[in-house]
Amino acid sequence: MALLKKSSIWIAFLVALLGLPLLFDSILAISILNQMAIGIVFALSYNMLLGQGGMLSFGHAVYFGLGGFLSVHALMLIEYETMVFSILWIPLIGGLFGLLAGIFIGSFSTRKAGTVFAMISLGIGELIAASSLIFSSFFGGEAGISGDRTFGPTFFGFDFAQNIEIYYVAAVWAFIATLFTWLFTQTPAGRMANAVRDNPERAEFIGYSSRKVRFISFCASGMFAGIAGGLFALNYEFITEENLNAATSGRVLLMAYIGGLGYFIGPIIGAVVLTLMNSLLSNYSELWMLYLGIMFLLTVMFLPRGFAGFIMMHQVAWVRGNMKMLIKPYIITGIPALLFTACAIVLIEMSHTDDEVFHYLGLALNPASPITWIVILAIAGGAFYATKRSLIQLNDAWETANAIPKEEEA
Amino acid sequence: MAILSLIDVKKSFGITEIIRGVSLDIVEGEKHAIIGPNGAGKSTLFHLISGRYNVSAGSIHFKEQQIENKPPYEIARMGLARSFQVTNIFQRMSVFENIRCALFWSKGYGYSFWHLLGKQTELNDEAMHVLEQIGLADRAKFPSGELAYAELRALELGVAIASGSELIMLDEPVAGMSHSEAQNAVELIRKITEGKTLIMVEHDMNIVFDVADRISVLVYGEIIATDEPKNIRANSKVQEAYLGEVPSA
Repeated sequence: MALLKKSSIWIAFLVALLGLPLLFDSILAISILNQMAIGIVFALSYNMLLGQGGMLSFGHAVYFGLGGFLSVHALMLIEYETMVFSILWIPLIGGLFGLLAGIFIGSFSTRKAGTVFAMISLGIGELIAASSLIFSSFFGGEAGISGDRTFGPTFFGFDFAQNIEIYYVAAVWAFIATLFTWLFTQTPAGRMANAVRDNPERAEFIGYSSRKVRFISFCASGMFAGIAGGLFALNYEFITEENLNAATSGRVLLMAYIGGLGYFIGPIIGAVVLTLMNSLLSNYSELWMLYLGIMFLLTVMFLPRGFAGFIMMHQVAWVRGNMKMLIKPYIITGIPALLFTACAIVLIEMSHTDDEVFHYLGLALNPASPITWIVILAIAGGAFYATKRSLIQLNDAWETANAIPKEEEA
Repeated sequence: MAILSLIDVKKSFGITEIIRGVSLDIVEGEKHAIIGPNGAGKSTLFHLISGRYNVSAGSIHFKEQQIENKPPYEIARMGLARSFQVTNIFQRMSVFENIRCALFWSKGYGYSFWHLLGKQTELNDEAMHVLEQIGLADRAKFPSGELAYAELRALELGVAIASGSELIMLDEPVAGMSHSEAQNAVELIRKITEGKTLIMVEHDMNIVFDVADRISVLVYGEIIATDEPKNIRANSKVQEAYLGEVPSA
């Protein structure tokens, strides 16, 4: 019974992973779900470095990409019948090569944390990305390399031609990877990673080489990034230089950061949010990258512990049963804040558009007319002022909801 | 028998010589205090013994093995533990986690990533036991970075002694404490170092004369006297170095 209670969250996670395609079964939805599964594994592997181990990496895509390239090569081996095995094991090949790359690069890059580590990771990232364009027999140059996942032996009749079939493979792997990254945090090596993150010097005085502790986390992180790369290879059946360059490294940093580095669930939230923004927002606006950047800035400035940190902030109020005190102030602040956001978006989009009539929220606006601009600016100004005013009330409500009850104080 | 011997140890930073030839034997089981004016090199000496700094010359033996210039983790594994003058803990982890981490190596877990901590009953009980000893049992789940000052110092002590090392080095363990807090801390130090060797740097002379079996006086990087407390009090060189501060205590 205790075991059931402990594992209930994991069962719920597995059910959610496997059940989602039943609720969202369009081609787009399955494609998004696939990206989410890949993103979750990749972001969790990144958090092993930065959140758990205090290593800021600007080159984490290297392990993702190398895992992915090797996985596509493995797909080719299957295709040409050099070696025949089920494609279910492809992520394991990605993981193995991510691990090997981690062992090799980690052997010198984990000597120091902080700026030294960050700079080395940046250098290695650029080096591998540049090499991938030079060594085109292995990396396929700018076009990358492609494989075909349908040649392997079928699994209970499935040949994995459909994206939904690959999703279930990805979901199971994502579950396994999540479980193992979590279990890692529950081991001596995982806890010492936290200790070295907090205070590498003191860790040495309780018998641990900070460097070796970092090295272990680094290798594990490389392995899980490689698994994510293998899932990518299975999903897209091709991989290019783009998948191991700085842009991909930046994206995984964003996922982990926006989700919340200090919490295990943070990168999962980050991967889900960013994948959604990436796939859905890009349908609506060419400027989605700009919005992503603004969101990252706002997160860093106002929610340094990410979305997960924002949720966890409410723990005290929740435990004290004071959540209802916060609902009304949240709504009162939320309405003008949303209005301001909407105005800001329309102003940004209007300055970008070439159309004579700009359609937005059922309105037909004329971007050429100064009146449109003045009116929207006025609304934005009013909404901003209203948000600022209501924030004061929200702050008061927050104080009351989190205050120590009288009887506890005495 | 000497558990720790320093033989003509020297340390320079650039051209500045901080430790100018220190020789010292620490007898197994004794409580040894190192005193001296500010800037005499007491903390530097601690750093040299515990491996944080490399020596410029001379040698250090712990349990008859050379330890100078070894990395701190190797010295710690041999059974030499230390605390720091400025609290130096794992601030984002809980109080319990701090102590448990300090236990890993001596309990033989090494760099294991295959033991699940939830199942290590003996280890977890031992960590709780240490917390009870240092009076922080009710703070087990508290984030250690948010402890009150005296509690932080107790945790600092706990992290140092948790592994059960034979030689414990405490760098100003009661600095910054109120009188009553310091009294409690001294009781605690007595309790947890029972049957072990203790080397302590401390400014509070009441505590030094109360706790120490022997005292060494370090002045400008040299030990000018090592003796029992009552002889140190009467030593004219010491009185000179302290300008009459010591005997007043």
